[in-house]
Amino acid sequence: MKPADDPTFLKLRIDSAPAKVAEVRRAVEEYCRQIGMEDKVCCNMGLCVNEALANVICHAYHGQTGRPIEVMVQVRDDRLEMAIRDWGSGENPASQLRHEHDPLVPGGLGMVCLRQLMDDVVFTPQPDGMLLTMTCRCQHNKPFRKP
Amino acid sequence: MVEFNTASDLIASARQERQTVVVAIRGDVDLHNSTEMRTELLDILIKTSARKLVLNLEQVPYMDSSAVAVLVELLQRLRKSGGKIVLTNLQPRVRGLLEIARLNTIFVLAANEAEAMGK
Repeated sequence: MKPADDPTFLKLRIDSAPAKVAEVRRAVEEYCRQIGMEDKVCCNMGLCVNEALANVICHAYHGQTGRPIEVMVQVRDDRLEMAIRDWGSGENPASQLRHEHDPLVPGGLGMVCLRQLMDDVVFTPQPDGMLLTMTCRCQHNKPFRKP
Repeated sequence: MVEFNTASDLIASARQERQTVVVAIRGDVDLHNSTEMRTELLDILIKTSARKLVLNLEQVPYMDSSAVAVLVELLQRLRKSGGKIVLTNLQPRVRGLLEIARLNTIFVLAANEAEAMGK
């Protein structure tokens, strides 16, 4: 893990309050703009972070506020990696059966967003929670800039 | 036409025209305030007994899945009584999320309130 003062590495630590989601989303979108992502892709990355955080708050922490969440974003030559660490229930969304998403049944849309908008979504169980890693590869073979 | 005042900053305006209620939402809607949007819209629907809800989303640049879940719940509720929801003035990010959710063909969409009133 790179140090928090490394400008190529965005690291945010928040508590599990729904009010914090928007500020993380905006920070991630700004980071994505700085590395040269197209505006629509920046918005998609922000949406994915929003949905991942909402899943942590609602499912890993069951709506409890005041619990820690770490968000780490870094760019490599050909891809953006976003990691979200929680110390919650350890429930693995990837282990749930994948049903065809019914648009008229509420719930599950957050995971649909992650699967549609990211190239890779990996949940890695931790002894005390969960690590989610989401990857977006560069478009048109154009490497991302360092922020 | 009857206009409503609400204490919520999320509701920019709300009015009833016969069996239709027209509500303009204001601001980003996410996990933080989607419950507030649900409470306000349900309250308006109960007060008015309207069968058609026109939601003007011109001032909503962003919604997440929790907000979409509220819209789906309201749609299901209105459909039970033969009603419907018409979404107008969709901003690109909101439209994009509805497409991901495959709801763009389930909600009635309109370019503006005038068009929505005729749908």
